[in-house]
Amino acid sequence: MNELIDFVTIAMVLFAIGIYGLVVKRNAIRMIFSIEIIANAANLNLIAFSRNLHNVQGQMFALFSIAIAAAEVAVGLGIIIIAYRLYKEIDVEEYRSMKG
Amino acid sequence: MVDFLSTPLFLTVVLGAVGIGIPVIDALKKERGSNNKLYCAIALGALILTIGIVIFRVLSGEVSSAAAFGPGVLSDDLFGAFFAVALLIVSIMVTASSWNYMKGKTNPAAYYSLILLSSIGMVLIAYSTDLVMLFVAWELMSLPTYALAAFSKRDPISNEAAIKYFMFGALSSAILVFAIGLSYGITGTTNIGGTINGLAHLQKDLIPVGLVSIGLFIAGFGFKIGLVPFHMWLPDAYEGAPTTIGALLAAGTKKAGFAAALRVIILGMFVLHPDWTLTLGVIAIFTMTLGNLAALVQKSVPRILAYSSIAQAGYILIGFALAPYSNQALAGSLFYIINHAVMKSAGFIAAAAVATALASYSLEKYKGLGYRMPITAIALSISLLSLAGVPPLVGFWSKLTVFGAAINSGSVVSWGPYLAIAGLLNSALSLAYYVWIIKKMYMEQGPDMSKVKEPRAMSAVLIFAIIFMVGFGVWYSPVLEFASKAVPHFGSIGPIISTGTSSNHLSKPILVATSQLNHIRPISVAGTNKLT
Repeated sequence: MNELIDFVTIAMVLFAIGIYGLVVKRNAIRMIFSIEIIANAANLNLIAFSRNLHNVQGQMFALFSIAIAAAEVAVGLGIIIIAYRLYKEIDVEEYRSMKG
Repeated sequence: MVDFLSTPLFLTVVLGAVGIGIPVIDALKKERGSNNKLYCAIALGALILTIGIVIFRVLSGEVSSAAAFGPGVLSDDLFGAFFAVALLIVSIMVTASSWNYMKGKTNPAAYYSLILLSSIGMVLIAYSTDLVMLFVAWELMSLPTYALAAFSKRDPISNEAAIKYFMFGALSSAILVFAIGLSYGITGTTNIGGTINGLAHLQKDLIPVGLVSIGLFIAGFGFKIGLVPFHMWLPDAYEGAPTTIGALLAAGTKKAGFAAALRVIILGMFVLHPDWTLTLGVIAIFTMTLGNLAALVQKSVPRILAYSSIAQAGYILIGFALAPYSNQALAGSLFYIINHAVMKSAGFIAAAAVATALASYSLEKYKGLGYRMPITAIALSISLLSLAGVPPLVGFWSKLTVFGAAINSGSVVSWGPYLAIAGLLNSALSLAYYVWIIKKMYMEQGPDMSKVKEPRAMSAVLIFAIIFMVGFGVWYSPVLEFASKAVPHFGSIGPIISTGTSSNHLSKPILVATSQLNHIRPISVAGTNKLT
């Protein structure tokens, strides 16, 4: 049980780091990193619970989640590459033509 | 065992095959040039075939009655069929209007393929009874829409919208994985029915973890639905994305988010402590008020529609907040969802028609539109009046059922009627900006009053929307009956829950609900349950 608490604590810390990065950083790629850190914290959680419960559903879900996160990053980086071509800049502070 | 005759699998196979087939046809074609019309026709055919099959199966009675849970991964029930009909109507409207919108634009094959793939995701969300399936369907819905929002490659606004949408969408799915992880950790299963059952029998010291998990679910789904603390990306994304895609986002992905929320949040709240649904009530009031106030000062029509869709999400949430106490409220919400899907996509498609003909979204260009583009103007007016809730239209009946249920629930839950009062005040407020647009179109003269040729396919879609909004406004009973049948059966256990305060009383209703599963044909894909 103590082992489980270690993993969950680390997952919570990673989650907090991810949220911090997302709030503070304004570089689009760093923001994607932060989101990935949150997703990986969730995967760590799933695997720790799965080991603790002796139940493979969690690990299976983590595999799904890893594959989907990879696809998500591919789409995101594609959008950022187009943004770089348009603005010559990947700082999200620059993207604010819409207001209101 | 995989049952290929069930509706969700059939939908997936047809839409998936066509969705992947369109780019293949494009790659194999020898002569270059945009084949927009061909791909549009193929995609439209596939969507009409699937909606036909869904309706046929509902009418022939092969679909089981609406279930809150299922033993497998997907359940072929009326709840899923209801959302499938609503979402496929939106996809059909978007695809048909793209006939004009995509004219002369690049890569039509990818565009229609992505719309079809996203439709599969939206529909599967409503059918899924397992959190793994729910998450995969959620991502299948989201990933194509990120690409679609960025579809105008040379347009900085579209790209900006896509970046904002992507960042919040990816964050919401990461939060969702976290929430699923926590609920899996404390209940030991990813099946929604099993999770709910586990939450009902939770040890006292694990209840805070359950609440954190439900809170993260609200955040994850709330980003997509556009609930108030999580709404900041929404107006930019809906305004900046190509306008037809704005319709898909506002009317399609948002409704799919509600389907997911209904399956997970409501049931979770239900068993932990029904009083927690007050949180949803408070969020509902904030959502509708902020959406309406912000919409008052906007200058661009898609942006007004985006803020109005935030406000409408608030009205729909009223029914969700009262779900543990009143079956009627949930039926009203579902009724509202299908009507809002048509009203909102009609609004966005009318804006797209104006953008195609006049190349502008600004409200100033709408002056004199009643003369310049009569069909578009009348469709936009009817959809706006319907959104405001003017009597003979569908929007009025939706509001009547939701607010009426909120007032009726006053005997069980003291804060119920306040939600109805907030909703009524907000409807009055929203009428201000809806009527303002209509006044610009009919009462004011623009500098240029020449008649404009209206895009033909869009006019056809708008005429369909007018018929739906007026026709089902006069003859509303079939849709309302379908919505009432689509409500999962747990509503009947509401009174037991609202009187019981300790969690011991709550185990009984869940047993009642799960015993109904015997009537439901299980569909197990890839035997995920056998792994345990």
